[in-house]
Amino acid sequence: MRFLHIISLSLLPIIASAGKLSLQSARVVVSDTEGTILRNEPLSKTRLPSPALTLDSTDTLKFTVQILDDETGKPVQPHQTFLRFYDAQNDEEGIQPLRVSSTGKASFELNMAKPPASIPATPDESVPLRVSLIVGSFEYSPLSQPLFDLHLPVSRPSPKHPEEHTYAPLPEIQHTFRPEPKTPYVILSAIGTGLVLSPWVALIGLLGDVLLYGAIFGGITIAAGKSALGKVGQWRLAKA
Amino acid sequence: MRYLALLGSVLLAIGATFAKSSTGSSVLVVFDPKLNRQDYSLFFSGLEAYATDLSPQSLVQMLDSKINVIFVASPTNTPLTTLALEFGLTFSPPGAQLVSHFPERSSPHTVVPITAPDSKLLSNGTAPILYSGASHSIAPNPLIIPILRAPAESFATDSITEDGADVIVDAVDKGGEGLWAGSQIGVVSGFQTIDGARATWVGGPELFSDDYATQEVHKGVKSGNYQFAQDIAKWTFQETLTLKIDGTTHHLVGETTPREAYTTNDNVVYSMNVSAWNPETGAWVPYSGLTDMQLEFTMLDPHIRTSILPVKGKEGTYEVTFRAPDRHGVFKFVVDYKRKGMTPLRSETVVPVVPPRHDGYPRFLSAAWPYYAGAISTSIGFLLFSAVWLGGEFVPTKKGKSE
Repeated sequence: MRFLHIISLSLLPIIASAGKLSLQSARVVVSDTEGTILRNEPLSKTRLPSPALTLDSTDTLKFTVQILDDETGKPVQPHQTFLRFYDAQNDEEGIQPLRVSSTGKASFELNMAKPPASIPATPDESVPLRVSLIVGSFEYSPLSQPLFDLHLPVSRPSPKHPEEHTYAPLPEIQHTFRPEPKTPYVILSAIGTGLVLSPWVALIGLLGDVLLYGAIFGGITIAAGKSALGKVGQWRLAKA
Repeated sequence: MRYLALLGSVLLAIGATFAKSSTGSSVLVVFDPKLNRQDYSLFFSGLEAYATDLSPQSLVQMLDSKINVIFVASPTNTPLTTLALEFGLTFSPPGAQLVSHFPERSSPHTVVPITAPDSKLLSNGTAPILYSGASHSIAPNPLIIPILRAPAESFATDSITEDGADVIVDAVDKGGEGLWAGSQIGVVSGFQTIDGARATWVGGPELFSDDYATQEVHKGVKSGNYQFAQDIAKWTFQETLTLKIDGTTHHLVGETTPREAYTTNDNVVYSMNVSAWNPETGAWVPYSGLTDMQLEFTMLDPHIRTSILPVKGKEGTYEVTFRAPDRHGVFKFVVDYKRKGMTPLRSETVVPVVPPRHDGYPRFLSAAWPYYAGAISTSIGFLLFSAVWLGGEFVPTKKGKSE
């Protein structure tokens, strides 16, 4: 039960204060394939280099730093010396451990022609990687120092599972309906109907009087006929 | 998930405890039987011991039969860590444990306080969680739900003395085993199978220990371990974020009962009822909190995909009205709601869509008026002409009179 032993030890009186580390002569140099130096800057604790560093696909970046004990000035080889590359917008991160020599010097060379596996994907060229140095030790206070912002050439995004997109709302699909069958204007149909019925108008116009007399006499004939039939019917029924 | 072919290797030394939650779903907690249950009384009291031979195949079969599992690995436990590969979780090499020198503290650097993330699985305001044990990298599998990730400055190593720095750097070199470091590495990860069974992988048992649950993270702030353990147990036990579909109906706008078949261009209303499990009351409660659910009207491919929204005033009911496409055929109402951490909701209802019947088309169009007028006037004209011809008198122009 190793873990439980360690926990019970921690109940002993607390270590008063651990020593502090300091980073000396932190410097970054960007050069291209011919060796021409594009940027050569010392790094400050308080400000990031501005503008941000940019690497093309053939450039090389070299970062050097020396880690010393703040009080005695002696070189230190801490347990953890990492470079962290982080893109907060796309949540891409890469961790690169650095080897610290016995003189406390650590260096990192990034050749974009052969980038190491620890560099994260950079799918978005407008968003730089924030590079920081993480120094951790069992004997000293830990130290996390942002160094510089770095624009790398665009890379393919980190692989996504083919079904990942189904775990979010999918794009809406609207059905394109066939257009409604077009009907001609009602006024045109009305004009057509008028044309079709126009012979009747002509007929009534030409035979106007004849039709009028015919309608009156016809009406009288129908009325007379109806009453005559009615009288005959009554007579027949009375007879029966 | 593929079944690992471990060819008859049986994990004899795996202990397990079994529990039934209020939903009736079962949880199996798999951990090392060498651990003393008394040290974990806050969490494990109430679970019955269930020591048995458990092979990876049987553990995976349990997930298939809807038994949820909490896998508690440790830096040394190799059979479980090989099973983790099937879930897309690659554990750090045996012996490597999570170490973080941040924040500066007097407790051992292998006990790492991790700030609780914003997650729908965890309660708001959980205090930092103390963790020690193994860590794992997470594959881009959408069935994995990362619950707790390692802090950005942490890493996994077996060298825990100051002069162990070289071991760490060598791990990244060619031929090295790789370095598990940074915030992309997980410490507690959930996994939900397609059917909804849940598994949680925890890299070390100390997370559940009484010691960690009572320790202070900083002055006056107790660790959030107890709350965290409760939250992940509740999620794995299918008590939180558990949903089900109570029923689905469809009908024409203006009607209430479903039809056998719809006609093209009909306005159709589809509604469904969703409940969520409420762990406090121990019952299914109608739930209107899903804002991004979608309905697909599919015939081989979705013809329509639209969002189906909760109805105000009717708790748990979601409704959408849409116009059936002008293609006829056999369609399906498909709801396939998958979100990380929540039970998948799936429903398919088959419904035929037929073209309009002979009298379903628009009739008596205005364009036909001339034709109606023509036909009717021809009929009337014929009647009148017959009446005049048969009943009228015609006087010949030449000579004599007719009757």
